[in-house]
Amino acid sequence: MSSLAEALRKSAVTIDLPKGSRGDTLGIKAVARIAQGHGLPGHVVEAEALKLDIIPSRYLRNMDSITATDQIKLLESSIAQVGLGGLGGTLLEMFLRTGIGTIRGADGDDFEESNLNRQALSTPDNLNAPKVSVATSRAQEINPSLTFEGLNTFLTKDSLPDFLTGTDLAIDALGGLEMRLALQHAATDAGIPLVTGALAGWTGYVGTVMPGQLGPANIMGQDNGAEEKLGCPAPAVTFIASLMATEVIKILSGQPSDLASAMLVIDLKTLTFEKISL
Amino acid sequence: MGIEIKLFATLAPYLPENSDDFPIDEGETIKSLVNKLGIPEKDVTLMFINSLRSTPDSEIADKDRVGLFPPVGGG
Repeated sequence: MSSLAEALRKSAVTIDLPKGSRGDTLGIKAVARIAQGHGLPGHVVEAEALKLDIIPSRYLRNMDSITATDQIKLLESSIAQVGLGGLGGTLLEMFLRTGIGTIRGADGDDFEESNLNRQALSTPDNLNAPKVSVATSRAQEINPSLTFEGLNTFLTKDSLPDFLTGTDLAIDALGGLEMRLALQHAATDAGIPLVTGALAGWTGYVGTVMPGQLGPANIMGQDNGAEEKLGCPAPAVTFIASLMATEVIKILSGQPSDLASAMLVIDLKTLTFEKISL
Repeated sequence: MGIEIKLFATLAPYLPENSDDFPIDEGETIKSLVNKLGIPEKDVTLMFINSLRSTPDSEIADKDRVGLFPPVGGG
């Protein structure tokens, strides 16, 4: 690592930081070059830079909301996200920009026209393409420092455990209620927290399930819900995804979750936000 | 004197006009309220009183805030 530290120090550029003081930064081209030269993923290089008080430029505007210590934890984290559709596409975009080191994403679906109203990864040009292929390209496009592992399949009770193995946190970005309880059980078996969320129309909820705790999937049942009548409008999808992403960032940075054993129930039309203890 | 009722998603059309001050009877429960509002019982999955999850048998008192939520799973 000494030669890595040397390379990082040599490539660091001292600038006036947005918050006033001066500090060392590392540009995205330098990250890519050093990563290639040392045979390391970019997120490992970025984490090492932060340990030397060198801030990767792409994360400069995360400070002090996501501190250097938090950012190192995020870059060294691994998450498993089930679903790359409405919630999943927006979540992926946020995780890629935030800098979560390893993101595993699974979805067996292809994009179709009815996804265009809300699914951030869908465009008229990629209709019929597997969601995983589009997600893989998008990951490379937004943040090539991160490791994205895509799985083009609908996970089942049997394949969920392998998918979660070795990760720090599971994310329920599924559509419909059918598989949500199975995912919650698999996360409990893997001993990792689950961040979950769902919506129908302008109404939705977000929750964090620590291993073995009661979660929304225990309450909502497994038959499809109100979304079949009310649909999923983009502002509600994006809002629920934002709350979920914030939970993920908090938990991975080692902060306590305010939604463990609880559900935040939201209605955007009536501006209702209520935290329910389960 | 009455209770405040919040109905979510597909339950919203059942909201009474006086939802901010809805009168209740002696011994009112979630279940009796759901019936009074004409909501099919199977359509309510999450029910809460003053932000605490409740059951159909939970009793409702004056000035309580009651929320009813159907199955919601879209993404």
